[in-house]
Amino acid sequence: MMPLLQKVYDFVDERIDLKTLEAKMMKEPIKGGSRWAYVFGSVLLFIFIMQAVTGVLLMFYYIPSADHAYASTQFIIHEVDYGWFILSYHFWGSSAMVVMVFAHMSQVFLWGAYKSPREMIWLVGLALFGIVMAFGFTGYLLPWDQRAYWATTVGVEIMDKTPIVGDFMARFLKGGPTPGQMTLSRFFVIHVMVLPGALMGLAGLHLFLFRSAGPAGPFRGTPEELKAKTDFFFPRQVWKDIVAMAAVFLTISSLALIEPVVLLEEAKPDPGDYHPEPEWYFLFLFQLLRWKIFSGELGQFLGATAIPAAFMLLLAALPFIDRGPERNIFKRPIALLSWTVVMIGILVLTVSAIINREFLD
Amino acid sequence: MASVQPKIKSKVRCVDGEIGEIVHVIADPISLEVSHIVVRANGTQRQVPVATIAAVRDDSVELLCNAAQVSGFPEHRPEDFLTSKQVEIPHLENKVHVEPGDLLVPFPVLEKSCARRNFFAGFIHVIGALIGLPLVWPVLRFIMAPMYAPYDNRWLKIGNVSKIKTEDVGVQFIFKKSFKDSVLQREEDKNHWVVKATPETLKKVYPQGDISFTDEKGDVIWVNKQTVPYVAFAGKCPHLGCGFKWRTHKKLGQVFLCPCHLSIYDNSGKVLDGPAPRPLDVLPIKVSATGEIEIIDVEYKSGKKELVRIA
Ligand code: HEM
Ligand code: FES
Repeated sequence: MMPLLQKVYDFVDERIDLKTLEAKMMKEPIKGGSRWAYVFGSVLLFIFIMQAVTGVLLMFYYIPSADHAYASTQFIIHEVDYGWFILSYHFWGSSAMVVMVFAHMSQVFLWGAYKSPREMIWLVGLALFGIVMAFGFTGYLLPWDQRAYWATTVGVEIMDKTPIVGDFMARFLKGGPTPGQMTLSRFFVIHVMVLPGALMGLAGLHLFLFRSAGPAGPFRGTPEELKAKTDFFFPRQVWKDIVAMAAVFLTISSLALIEPVVLLEEAKPDPGDYHPEPEWYFLFLFQLLRWKIFSGELGQFLGATAIPAAFMLLLAALPFIDRGPERNIFKRPIALLSWTVVMIGILVLTVSAIINREFLD
Repeated sequence: MASVQPKIKSKVRCVDGEIGEIVHVIADPISLEVSHIVVRANGTQRQVPVATIAAVRDDSVELLCNAAQVSGFPEHRPEDFLTSKQVEIPHLENKVHVEPGDLLVPFPVLEKSCARRNFFAGFIHVIGALIGLPLVWPVLRFIMAPMYAPYDNRWLKIGNVSKIKTEDVGVQFIFKKSFKDSVLQREEDKNHWVVKATPETLKKVYPQGDISFTDEKGDVIWVNKQTVPYVAFAGKCPHLGCGFKWRTHKKLGQVFLCPCHLSIYDNSGKVLDGPAPRPLDVLPIKVSATGEIEIIDVEYKSGKKELVRIA
């Protein structure tokens, strides 16, 4: 290290014991050794940081007003140097976040990492999942184009159908009986202040709990084998993490380059030729609502709110129901089957929503 | 300045011979230096001040005094001390090299006689609640302020009937609606549909006869006469609020079709297919002698069987 840097390091170390901190951060033994399967959590942190950076940059030009949101977004895309890239990166980053959150959830589910003593990590994780989806939902409105306006209108109307609290929740989000400036203001403040704060706090808690419990490690192998393969977080796992982050960065950047964000017309209560549709990661729910059994007020509530809520509750209860110590996914047939069914279900619904598009024109 | 670093389990030797071993080390929480060692001799633990230490060696400590003097030091009372694990004293464990569990610091005198600990805890919570509770109502009202805006009962011109060429066909009227949205004066494109209905269709639109419209108080503001052939349907799908279109369907012929969840309505607004819970919403309509159509932009809650007016 350069002498000056060394001096600064020593100065800080003397005051806050950097060496110990460093050792605690880096020298976490990973039983069974580092693995590519463990990269998803770190990648999520990376994507979030990039979303925060690009998000703050976008706020330099974005104006959260029904009169100017659309024009200021167009300004970012067409006039500000590299505005199209920053915006498109932020856009594709949000999709990457959702993909990664599903990957991370699948990994910890398949590895049985939600089981005792990691129940709290899992529960906080579910809250983080909710936050990630809420980010997508609130951010989608901000460009104030037709796509944005209609996805939100329909989304909020779905919420409105929740018995007892639905009307209040929908009016709360809309800031009135119908969508308008108040809706944009609310979505904006939730997207740029409330959710980032909540995500940072909960991700911190998630990591604290993770470090308190220690990594679950592989789901098979004798203690001797695990011990023999154990290494520290640094360097092998950190190396794998950074390679994964670079791959994700390249993917998002390429998508931003190849498929930059293009806005539709400015939002208005007349959909014109546009067929309202939510962001792709909500399409499976959207498709569910097209089924006959989910028609009518009750059906709608079932399809759009009750079933997803019940599914989340089931996930929350999972570590308390599935208490067997067995973590090997190949010895947990029900878990493996359920995961496969849910994934195929989501895939089939999403694809059929996309196929339905053509059929509409 | 090298501070004394006695080790646990070190033998303790007086001028007149070995008397026992160190079981704890007591540190001063202010100077962060060792103040006493706790020596176990003949089954009792005694606190020996550091000043008594002559030398600290690898596995032993030499004292300046004799065994009899050691018996004169006060007995160690564990209840008067805390281990360094139980308290937060920055840098202490770096300065005194003893296992955290064996490193003791005195229990503060004020804390020992703190009889009203529960009272303080209660007091802290009460004050916290007194700060927080009065804010609940104002904050709630603050956030809720725009949520229950009054209805807009203005008549709006949307176009002329001359645009309608054929009976029983949906014709879209796009019009500009200007309104105040919080502090903004805004203008938006809106759209509604007008059908010039034949008597049969009209019967399907008004199965119960005339339709009356009310304000917040329930007072009737307008009645649509079932004899007026022009029927205006709100452009918002009663399912979840998307905009529907007038389309030709393979089997059903010309219908209103909503692309969102594929609800289909006939020209009287009746649901033919899809998840919609009720027919298309009929708006208050007035047609002047010159054919100008005016409507009140009544809005109902979507997704409900019954009509719940929201704007
Ligand atoms: C923004 C969202 C999230 C972030 C930033 C995040 C971050 C992390 C990180 C960095 C780890 C450390 C080890 C690893 O990467 O496997 C981890 C572990 C874990 N996460 Fe998450 N996570 C998020 C969402 C979730 C979700 C949605 C769930 C499940 C519902 C979840 C459940 C877990 C569990 C059970 C572990 C322990 C894994 C083990 O011990 O092997 N996390 N998370
Ligand atoms: S909004 Fe029209 S069918 Fe759902």
